[in-house]
Amino acid sequence: MTEGSSAGGVILKIDRVSKRFPGVLANDAVSVDIEQGEIHCLLGENGAGKTTLADILYGVHHPDDGALYLKGEPLRMSSPKDAIGAGIGMVHQHFEFVPPMSVLENVIIGAHSKQWLDMGQARRRLQELFDTYDVRVDPDAEVGRLSVGEQQWIEIFKTLYFGLEILILDEPTAVLTPQGVEQLFGILRRMRENGLTVILITHKLNEVMEISDRVTVLRRGKVVDTVDTADVTRQDLARMMVGRDVVFTVENEGGTPGGLLLEVDEIHVESESGRGSLEGLSLTVREGEIVGVAGVSGNGQNALFDALVGVREPSSGEIRLGGGSIVGLSARKIASLGVASVPGDRIRQGLVMDFRVKENLILGRHRSKPYASWGLLRRRPVDGFAKQSIDEFEIMTPSAAHVTRTLSGGNLQKVIMARELSQAPKLLVVHQPTRGLDVGAAEYVRRRLIQERDKGAGVLLMSEDLDEIFNLSDRIAVIYEGRIMAETRPGDTDLEEIGLWMAGISSEPDAAGASASSGNGAAGE
Amino acid sequence: MSAPPPPKQSPLWSMLMQPGAGWRFERRLYTGPVREFAAVIIAIGISVAAAGLLVAVAGAGVLEAFRGMYEGAFGTRDSALETLVQATPLIMTGLAAAIAFRASIWNIGGEGQFYAGAAGAWWVSDLLADLRPAPLLFVFMFLGAALAGALWASIASVLKAVFKTNEILTTVMLNFVMFFVLSWLLAGPWRSPNTFYYQTERMADVTFLPRFTTDSRLHWGFAIAVLTAVLVYFILRKTPLGYEIRGLGANPVASRYKGANVGVLIITVMAISGAVAGLGGAGELLGLHHRLQLDIAVGAGFTGIIIALVARLHPLGVVVAAVAFGALINGSTAVQVVTGIPAALVQVIEGMTLVFVLLAAVAARYRIVRTSVSHG
Ligand SMILES: Nc1ncnc2c1ncn2[C@@H]1O[C@H](COP(=O)(O)OP(=O)(O)OP(=O)(O)O)[C@@H](O)[C@H]1O
Ligand SMILES: [Mg+2]
Repeated sequence: MTEGSSAGGVILKIDRVSKRFPGVLANDAVSVDIEQGEIHCLLGENGAGKTTLADILYGVHHPDDGALYLKGEPLRMSSPKDAIGAGIGMVHQHFEFVPPMSVLENVIIGAHSKQWLDMGQARRRLQELFDTYDVRVDPDAEVGRLSVGEQQWIEIFKTLYFGLEILILDEPTAVLTPQGVEQLFGILRRMRENGLTVILITHKLNEVMEISDRVTVLRRGKVVDTVDTADVTRQDLARMMVGRDVVFTVENEGGTPGGLLLEVDEIHVESESGRGSLEGLSLTVREGEIVGVAGVSGNGQNALFDALVGVREPSSGEIRLGGGSIVGLSARKIASLGVASVPGDRIRQGLVMDFRVKENLILGRHRSKPYASWGLLRRRPVDGFAKQSIDEFEIMTPSAAHVTRTLSGGNLQKVIMARELSQAPKLLVVHQPTRGLDVGAAEYVRRRLIQERDKGAGVLLMSEDLDEIFNLSDRIAVIYEGRIMAETRPGDTDLEEIGLWMAGISSEPDAAGASASSGNGAAGE
Repeated sequence: MSAPPPPKQSPLWSMLMQPGAGWRFERRLYTGPVREFAAVIIAIGISVAAAGLLVAVAGAGVLEAFRGMYEGAFGTRDSALETLVQATPLIMTGLAAAIAFRASIWNIGGEGQFYAGAAGAWWVSDLLADLRPAPLLFVFMFLGAALAGALWASIASVLKAVFKTNEILTTVMLNFVMFFVLSWLLAGPWRSPNTFYYQTERMADVTFLPRFTTDSRLHWGFAIAVLTAVLVYFILRKTPLGYEIRGLGANPVASRYKGANVGVLIITVMAISGAVAGLGGAGELLGLHHRLQLDIAVGAGFTGIIIALVARLHPLGVVVAAVAFGALINGSTAVQVVTGIPAALVQVIEGMTLVFVLLAAVAARYRIVRTSVSHG
């Protein structure tokens, strides 16, 4: 039972750990040996129990059964404080609101509860860490001004500052740009070189292939297998995960765009923070067409989404849907015109976490037939629709009456997708539609988007996942600093060019000036 | 999803959370009605025990006091009926608070809206004194009360919806304003010429709410209150409006993204809340006092807030809690007679109950789990 703790030996032994929640066995006798100095990926379908396991390793949950051993010693934890004491740190799936303080202050929160703070010394130490990991962030910068990726580094450097040995990251890349992922992986590799151990949860198989030494696949709470990454392919992993072959690039014959559906003309939209405003953005979407908006997040995607669904009004410019202006219309009115939407921040903007699953499935349509009539909510249609959605999207929940808060991250996303895709929309505005979904669910959602397009809907797809953009889009627009930087077709470009555009670098020097008007020009063939 | 624990923890918190030998607390994401209910019951049990302790400290016989309390509240048919009389306004103000709180709108103005309602009913009774048949007059008096309460609450809600002012401040201030407005009305324009007090003329008999029995004070206001509770429950659970109210309370951002008109919703909720409080005021006026004065059910608006919280914002729970608080008020008078303990004990017990219930509500979100060591 007691393993040696020599370099490369087992640092953390997870021994037949089980965890039950009302109605689900989230972890079922899970056994994994985490070796020192490895990057170990946890892989599994939505609701397979990855976050639960991570929370157990971090002292948030306590196993009902089974035990943990750290370097051979039994490890008992009552709270994350104990985990940190034992040398284990974690970055959460929906990582917490970061207090509006400087980078330095955020890192050292809680680190110096006993002695007086020596800011100068703390700054030196943090700067050293930054240098070691080749990270360029100003320790005195206001956290709110950093990108999501940089905010994530803060969480990581907290653990490094504490001198922790094991770092758990729960879907850190879901919110990152490709460059952000590369930077993160750079940090993780360096941690590995320094003998630290990383447990990484992700749904992206190429990330698993790229960075991990070993992978443990979970399925319905049970370990399917732990394998050396070098011995498997993406396909193998996908099959282990979902029990069938998965198509990473869904079949897409391209749409047959019809009449002009959505016209966004030179809109200016202020954002609250000043970051990510729209500065005269123009684009169009035709019926039966998927337009991919590629871009690093924070370049105006949120403002564009808000303006299109009617929660923020442009200060100037025009938005026309099917020829009629929708500027100034209420969100309810716009939705009633056939606009469905999937927001980027699912928990804050898309769901009422205290509602039952079935209540969230009718959010926004709770006033219309068949869910309401004669001023009353109708139980049967609501239940019926819930059952249908849960079956169709394989939403993992003990029942439709369960509180939404208990669902896993990917299943939350499925609830929103089920709700928005079910209403035969004319226009779908989707922001990161497959974020947090497992490969099987992502494949399904992509198929459904193509299906909606083939039925004649227009789809505006905002995503940082360029593979997804290339796979689905009939046309690609690159958003940069509140404008469309360039517009093209998937066949006429490549990842590299899009990547440059996303960074604000124009491929042809003389095209830079034309970027503002390119949105209008490309509408016609 | 992950459930990050509260990041900043007080020393007391960590002490509680780290009980050492093999036990720990774990947060639940969902409490469930059964546990919530049990928590309230346990909290009330603790409050009763604490009240007993207070009585003992005060030097009186604990059993004697409890018996006096029970006798005074439920011991005889008369006392039981009187308990319901006491509960009647509290049900209404409790419901008023519960509706608003469900939407996370902190209406602390129940007191002012209650009096606004009483004043509205009186005004209508004065204007339409000759209106017959009597049922029609009642309809108008209650309408007047509901409207007055709703309008008074709307001052705060319109300010909130348009200027984003904090409704806690405005509703509290509006309580004072209502007190001064009434004082002025009762000192001048509405004052009965035949009396030295700040009060109106006694109302005509035709405006009296019928009583259930000839020998008690229990009037139809109680039935109206219970019906209102059922209606509020129904609205919250079964109508799109109730769904929106709960949605607004739990996540205003998502509500807005999915098409709720938050401003209109705030105004609607406050209007309903104020109307219910106002109806409560009318019930007291027409059922018991029959003249407008400054001391009809003093503090009912504030006690209603406590009742709503103790009932965990459940409309039917409000009825139960209001009856319990009515019993407390009623019984304490008897206790004072028997043991000499001042009736002010009521407020102490009310406050204690609130604290215990709120604590229990938090506690119910955790479960105690055994820290298993190793299983082979
Ligand atoms: N606190 C909780 N209370 C009740 N049920 C829970 C709780 N946490 C998780 N569950 C349930 O346990 C199961 C596993 O959830 P978990 O969050 O571990 O999944 P996951 O593998 O992280 O999925 P995802 O990829 O979607 O994030 C799910 O069915 C979920 O609904
Ligand atoms: Mg998860």
